[in-house]
Amino acid sequence: MNRFKSFNVRRLSVAGFSFLFAYIMSFQFEGQVLYSLLDLRGTDADRYILAAIIAHFAGLFTSGLFVKSQAAAKSMMIGGMGLCLVATVPFFFPLPTLWMGGLIVSGYFSGCAVAAWGFFLRAFTPKNERIKSCADVLIYSNLLMIAVNVVAMNRSTFIGLSLSMLCLVIGAVFIWMLPLEQENEQNKTFKNKTHGGIKNPLILLCLFVFIITINSGLMYQVINPAFEHLTGLVSWYWAVPYIVALAIMRNLPMKAKRSRILYIGMAMIIGAFISFMLLGRNTSDYLTVDTLMLGACGIFDLFWWSILGEMLDYSDNPAQTFGIGLSANVFGVLCGGVLGMAVTSMGLPGAEVAVIALTVVCVTLVMLPPLNHQLVLLLKSHAYLAAYDNMSQSQQTDIVRQVKTLDPLTVREQEVLQLILSGKSNREIAGALFISENTVKTHARSIFSKYDVSSRAELISTLLKNQTVG
Amino acid sequence: MFFQAYFAKMNTGGGLMQMKLIRKRRNGYALMFAASICLAVWLGATFMLEAVFVFGAISLIFLLLLVRQSRRLYDATLIWDNRILAVPSVLISTEGNLRQADTEETVVSTFGMIIGSRIYRWGLDGVHGVRLHAAQIDKERMYLAFGNADQTMRVELLHGMTQKQALLDATQKLLHETGVTADITGW
Repeated sequence: MNRFKSFNVRRLSVAGFSFLFAYIMSFQFEGQVLYSLLDLRGTDADRYILAAIIAHFAGLFTSGLFVKSQAAAKSMMIGGMGLCLVATVPFFFPLPTLWMGGLIVSGYFSGCAVAAWGFFLRAFTPKNERIKSCADVLIYSNLLMIAVNVVAMNRSTFIGLSLSMLCLVIGAVFIWMLPLEQENEQNKTFKNKTHGGIKNPLILLCLFVFIITINSGLMYQVINPAFEHLTGLVSWYWAVPYIVALAIMRNLPMKAKRSRILYIGMAMIIGAFISFMLLGRNTSDYLTVDTLMLGACGIFDLFWWSILGEMLDYSDNPAQTFGIGLSANVFGVLCGGVLGMAVTSMGLPGAEVAVIALTVVCVTLVMLPPLNHQLVLLLKSHAYLAAYDNMSQSQQTDIVRQVKTLDPLTVREQEVLQLILSGKSNREIAGALFISENTVKTHARSIFSKYDVSSRAELISTLLKNQTVG
Repeated sequence: MFFQAYFAKMNTGGGLMQMKLIRKRRNGYALMFAASICLAVWLGATFMLEAVFVFGAISLIFLLLLVRQSRRLYDATLIWDNRILAVPSVLISTEGNLRQADTEETVVSTFGMIIGSRIYRWGLDGVHGVRLHAAQIDKERMYLAFGNADQTMRVELLHGMTQKQALLDATQKLLHETGVTADITGW
């Protein structure tokens, strides 16, 4: 019964977020509805799009400052969607001044609402299944976006706008139906175990997301205009390869090494830019380029979304972590867009554009191995620490003794090591032992050197990897 | 290399004085670096390219000095924070022959030693770096040997401890912090 209840709550949470995200993608965040409206009024689109993206980035980035509990997250999501609804109403009327204000308000609060969902992703989706919830929200929101786009482009822009707003209303109702639950004990334990452990992987992930998303920005600005004449096909086919890639990744067995599929994604992006360079601009060429490009985007997006989802366990504030991770994506789109605009305004030939894009891909390729290494270590450390915590004192001592060191640890180093294995941060260790934080760092470096490892995560992994993880 | 440090007279706060001096020097370098960078930028704006190169080079020198002094301050702070024994003042000599009289404090710590204006580090660079190898204490003196695979140094200082309990406390702390068991003789 409990499992059934949690499954339903998870579905509610996914549905609520999918509708919110469908609104953002179809209208606010370079959506076809907004483009059509701006086109209809003959207004300069760039200014509005830029304002919306910057506001959305700010919302994602700052949401964690005032959303610090599940209750606050729920209020923020419902309130944010309500404000977005109000801010979208002026788009039914020819009031460009209100449009700009409306885009800034809705961009900011939709960003806050998206980040706040981090609380529900952590609370209602079990660990290791977040990849499925992330895939679900991306698939459903893209399907909804396609439906809205098709209506907006083939029937009426205002019906499309109404549908976008309906998405908001439905999303808000689903979120309103979500229960507020106490955080489970497991999550509380996770949070206390990883102080200082999440910062570096999060920075690395943000960098990865930022670089990979520059490609999307480039793509929007360079590839899209080349196929503008295929309006009907573009309106529905655009996101289909993306959805198919997400569905394949979602249903891969848990044991599958998803990191290897990233290299297929890289090959697809390279293939897309080379095809764009060599092929023409007819329907079959569009199908080839779009399938390769959006398929790769689906692979990459689900990879980093799911990692971000797993990272929420290590965070004190999931809204902050989720928001910062997604803001890297928005920042990447922004920079890629600016790069794309610069490239198109300079009138560079297709070959040179492809070279720029391929350079971005190469940089990403270099980043992949260290990113994977860091994240795997982080996840392993968490599991090992949880198991270590449940052991008796004598078992804990045995584990430390079993691994040979290059030189014996001093008594002080043993004390520091025990506290590291209890998941304490440097600051907490310093407080417990009445020494300075720099002293703890120096002892920790000495311990790493004696165990011949280079980081805290590697130390934990080395010491505890032979133990049974419960 | 071999030298000895001899206890001379009681006073306190020498280590702190030393740190203040290093901090003052670091701040001075930071100021000079900022000033030379500003000058280089200003000269660049007035297209005096030769002067820009000169002040650029000067900035680089000050930057290097600043980095060096910041590292010294970090090490000195770490040594001071983890002191095991503070010998109020020392007289340094080379082997057998008195070389230099010094009335500043010597601090022996988990991570090194401050003697006057000199800082000797150990235990900061992991298992392959400079480490404290041995300690020997008699009624008057303390002998410390430290180094790495290539070089070893030996320091001899007058510890000034008259109570056996104080000596035992110091050796216990030395063992706890550095893993080195002091060899006590003549007590």
